[in-house]
Amino acid sequence: MERPSPSNSARRTPDLAFQILVVVAAICTVGTIHFVAYRTPIEATMGIVQKIFYFHVPAAYSMYLGAAACFVGSAGYLYDGRRGWDALARAGAEVAVAMGVIVLITGPLWAAKAWGVYWTWDPRLTTSMLSVLLYVAYVVLRLFAGDGDAERRFAAALGVLGAANLPIIHFSVQKWGGNHPRVITSGGGGIHDPNMTLGLMLGFLSFTLIAAVLLWWRLRIDLAASRLAELEQEALELGIGED
Amino acid sequence: MKIDIIPPSATAAPAASTSNSAAPPIVAASAPAAAAPAPPSSTQPTPTVDDRSTAFRAVEGGPQMQSGEKLLVEAYAAIWIILFALILLSWRRQRRLDDRMAMLEGAIDKARQAEARSVTMGETPKPPPQAHEGGT
Repeated sequence: MERPSPSNSARRTPDLAFQILVVVAAICTVGTIHFVAYRTPIEATMGIVQKIFYFHVPAAYSMYLGAAACFVGSAGYLYDGRRGWDALARAGAEVAVAMGVIVLITGPLWAAKAWGVYWTWDPRLTTSMLSVLLYVAYVVLRLFAGDGDAERRFAAALGVLGAANLPIIHFSVQKWGGNHPRVITSGGGGIHDPNMTLGLMLGFLSFTLIAAVLLWWRLRIDLAASRLAELEQEALELGIGED
Repeated sequence: MKIDIIPPSATAAPAASTSNSAAPPIVAASAPAAAAPAPPSSTQPTPTVDDRSTAFRAVEGGPQMQSGEKLLVEAYAAIWIILFALILLSWRRQRRLDDRMAMLEGAIDKARQAEARSVTMGETPKPPPQAHEGGT
């Protein structure tokens, strides 16, 4: 029996694409930091602390991306049970947690200056925290509950249900009011300076690329772990001992 | 004199009184999020110089003493620390998996070659090598 092994060229192509993505993400991120630091104006009422905005909002958007990946992967796994879907769901949940934690740290730091308090039980803040906690639960479940089919299915159900909170976060400001700014959505005052808009766009681009890199990387690690499990099985069949 | 102005979106926040105006903070007291206690200055008389020299009184939601620059640096530091931590963890996990896979692949290849050699020479297959002998 020949061991299935991807050819070198087939393995190298995604490696190269991944490396290019990493380089592009790094360049874009450094460019965004530079632009936000030196080109975006200081906001009239809040001062320099408003520059948190250029990373806080894109991080929230990236949390949505991770959560969406988790939802798609979970739904796919529940539908056909392939490990690739499960790996996507797991990667998405980890990205959602990382980005969600960034949102929950940067937001209160901004609020400390703008509102005078770090935290208030505003609808958007509360629903965001709830969502992050859901994805933390997912990640903890995957870390400690084993890797059997039942655990994967349970986690997939959590991944599908966890996505239900995302539209609630998005529309909470519009439906229930609260303190959270609404400058991007139509109900808010908007962003009037073109450099502010450009800074935000660059932030979105950078965080999209960062989320893509993290997702892809975690996916590669999960697929490598699956491959390792196959190799270990093969080694056992050949009677190769462990050290 | 520097004056902090509360943005429209932030006026509803509890304890958002940052104005240097002498008027009582009516906005904070009438805000929808008034579940938090209103600043005591709205119910208590303004302390005189004598009062200030003889007693210290605590106040909630007083003028902000937070530095915007410091908060900004803290926020940026948090972002990059979290991202770099995630990258570092992923990199370590990837390296561990790669090392283990390379070791197993080497051991399996050796075992297969030994098996093939023994079949072509008509010998009884030797026992397979141990994984730690596999090298890379």
